[in-house]
Amino acid sequence: MADAIRLEGVTKRFGEHAAVDDVSLDIGQGEFFSLLGPSGCGKTTTLRMIAGFEQPSEGRILLEGEPVDDVPPYGRNVNTVFQSYALFEHLNVEDNVAFGLKRKKVAKDEIGRRVGEALELVNLERRASARTSELSGGQQQRVALARALVNRPAVLLLDEPLGALDLKLRRQMQVELKEIQREVGITFVYVTHDQEEALAMSDRIAVMHEGRVVQCGDPEEVYEHPDAPFVAGFIGTSNLMEGVAQGDGKVKIASGQVVPAPLPEGCDAGTAVQIAVRPEKIALDELEEGMVSLEGTIEQRVYQGVVTQVTVSLGDGARLVALEQNTYRARSDDRWDPGTKVKLGWHPEHCLVLR
Amino acid sequence: MSAFDRPRFLRVYVAFAYLFLFAPILVVVLFSFNSIKSLQNFEGFSLRWYEEFLDDPTLRESLFASLEIAVLTMVAGTVLGTMLAIGLVRSRARWSGSANVLMLIPLVVPEIVAGISALLIFSQIGIQLSILTVILAHITFSISYVAIVVRARLATMGTEAEEAAMDLGATRWQAVRMVLLPGLWPAIVAAGLLVFALSFDDFVLSFFTTGEDVQPLPVRIWSAIRFGISPTINAIGTLMMVVSITAIGLALLIPRLFGRRESGVKVLTGQEGG
Amino acid sequence: MSEGFWNRFLVPPAVWLLVLFAFPICLVLALSFGYVDDLGRAVYATDLDNYADAFDPTYLPVMVRSVLYAVATAVLCLLIGYPIAYFIARFGGRYRYALIAALVLPFFVNYLVRTYAWVALLSDEGLVNNALIDVGITNDPIQIINTPWAVIGGLTYGYLVFMILPIYASLERMDPAVIEAGKDLYGNRLQTFLHVTLPQTRQGILAGSVLVFLPAVGDFVAAQLLGGPDTYMVGNLIQDQFFAGNNWPFGAALTVVMMLFLSIFMFGYLRSAARESRAAL
Repeated sequence: MADAIRLEGVTKRFGEHAAVDDVSLDIGQGEFFSLLGPSGCGKTTTLRMIAGFEQPSEGRILLEGEPVDDVPPYGRNVNTVFQSYALFEHLNVEDNVAFGLKRKKVAKDEIGRRVGEALELVNLERRASARTSELSGGQQQRVALARALVNRPAVLLLDEPLGALDLKLRRQMQVELKEIQREVGITFVYVTHDQEEALAMSDRIAVMHEGRVVQCGDPEEVYEHPDAPFVAGFIGTSNLMEGVAQGDGKVKIASGQVVPAPLPEGCDAGTAVQIAVRPEKIALDELEEGMVSLEGTIEQRVYQGVVTQVTVSLGDGARLVALEQNTYRARSDDRWDPGTKVKLGWHPEHCLVLR
Repeated sequence: MSAFDRPRFLRVYVAFAYLFLFAPILVVVLFSFNSIKSLQNFEGFSLRWYEEFLDDPTLRESLFASLEIAVLTMVAGTVLGTMLAIGLVRSRARWSGSANVLMLIPLVVPEIVAGISALLIFSQIGIQLSILTVILAHITFSISYVAIVVRARLATMGTEAEEAAMDLGATRWQAVRMVLLPGLWPAIVAAGLLVFALSFDDFVLSFFTTGEDVQPLPVRIWSAIRFGISPTINAIGTLMMVVSITAIGLALLIPRLFGRRESGVKVLTGQEGG
Repeated sequence: MSEGFWNRFLVPPAVWLLVLFAFPICLVLALSFGYVDDLGRAVYATDLDNYADAFDPTYLPVMVRSVLYAVATAVLCLLIGYPIAYFIARFGGRYRYALIAALVLPFFVNYLVRTYAWVALLSDEGLVNNALIDVGITNDPIQIINTPWAVIGGLTYGYLVFMILPIYASLERMDPAVIEAGKDLYGNRLQTFLHVTLPQTRQGILAGSVLVFLPAVGDFVAAQLLGGPDTYMVGNLIQDQFFAGNNWPFGAALTVVMMLFLSIFMFGYLRSAARESRAAL
């Protein structure tokens, strides 16, 4: 079966500047696929090209196996949920949702039925005749979603749809969106700069930076095995440290210590590398068997509720951030005062070597 | 202490200023109801001058002509002016910058120049002066007013709603018809009523482009004044004032009636759209 | 969104404006080089006679007079209007929109009728003279109408609101904190006004002056109704050529001269406005 969406060497230039640079992706049917990256990385432009609002300068896009070079947005079996919702303010909720169906000249009673279903799906069946200005942000967002889904497109494109919502609502909507996607079975292409959101919702993530796809994989892969420093730094906190490979599985880091680390192919002695260790992988004081062990001094403690962030200095300006979870094994406060000497460590396989 | 330290002085001054502004109007309105033919002595309340105005066939004709001209100018002016505004804002052609400036020129050209140039082209083409020529001239000058009002509003609207419409299956033209125009509607209506009032009241342009037969009301007033003052003129003036104030009043109120929460003033000046 | 689609919207209005606005103005220019033949018909040519006539002693005073009257009108509008704008902006409070509306209301009465009202008031048998006689200030009616000041007064009354609104707008935009700072610096209100408020509202004053001056130069209604042959303005002169005088080419030339003069003035204003906005950055 053909992929739902296929991008082949797609480039988009605005003047001299390439907003999207040689991007190739395959997105499968029914996938929840995210484009993740900072502002200006090209993710929205890529989405707009799939929707048909922009034309690629180079390369081509195929929807369900068919190239869509000259097909305008209204001819593609794709619907978009916009960042600003883009609701039609002069129409009420059900007329907004029915808009696409009316353009396709669907029969009146079927429109009524499908609109009702769509509104039920997003829990707005009781607000069908409300004017859009009377709705809250979250409700407007759901109208936008219903308006897109009611047309049963092959692909749904979502451009940072939860950006304007507060944290709690956003978390709730993330769960709801994921459920809806599973229920409806449509391919979702989701654009966001929030990496936690992408990790939580996606089947696969394409991390973008300066117009290029830096890494593409499922959340665990992208998080645990970042290919490049950018990905390691963008997704979660990373504790990147400069170092020099020592050959035979060791790296000498900037502050002088030598640690064992899995060196990738072709990484000979003397190569400059960066090593990355996730804060939650660092143990403080109570180290396990086989862990790399280093000594350091506590610089700072930041209490964040669920975790406490502890910054440990290794000397020579090198520092690591560790996370201490606030669990039932929580210690009392005075144990981690700044200035205290502490041992920290991690399992060698949790240390990533990047170039 | 200087005068400016006491707003009291300023208050008195402003009160007199407003009196000065309103006094002539009040005199006009008052004496339109005079029972005798005098503009100095008010003898009693009467509607005879209004009756004279409405009984006079030429004056009645002129009233209807002025209304007809204003309505047609409003319709054609809003259509063309809206098209101009949309084209100017959305077109990315290189010459749209200068087109923007050109759009403003009709507004700064003195009316007498407008009148003369209109007269010249009509005589050049060979069209006889009539209500039609007045309408054509009025439309020409209303286009800029409409374009400015509509453009101000359009500039606050993004293209996203239209993109959403296209995403949902509307063609570009359908998106304009079903999303853009409804969004612009309050501004279009307000501009239309503004143009109606301007056309109805217009004198100089009409003066140069009118024919002999049926003349717009302000031109008749001009002839009447040349003959001498009479309370009939007061009556006409008062009636015209009512029409103009109604038109502008509607222009300010109608956006409210559309369910938008902003005032008509803001629509006319293009501030934050609903 | 393809280019051609939006450009299509521009075509009908552009064509209309080209045919009924731009081209006719070119016609005026072209005709100004023409003359009137023996049958009284206007003929296009390439003479400069009309321009020579425009500047000769018979007509030049009329043009100079127009400019003087227009300047006087602008000055009067400024002197009368600025305090009004200032009052509404500073002391209007929640009544300011009502005050502005009340200000604008008289201007919905037709310009002719408004000027006519002054004719009625200022004529020898008019209310003003009657009042003066009743009160005993004078025994015979004073000649008010048919004088330059009657015309200037009529013009001022007609265009006052165009001066007030821009000044009001620029006063509104002023940060009240600046005025407070000025009061601290200068001590009393008059000094603050002269050194802080007035300069800040310069753009408003300039805009208002342009909005009054430009139409006033070409106005013929006030001069016709409130004045006489001695107060003829260029507007009356032009109007004459097209109706009674039947010398369209000359009328066209006068129009062109007036337009050129106004353009120079507008150009100067635009340059000053551009300089102001650059300085503000």
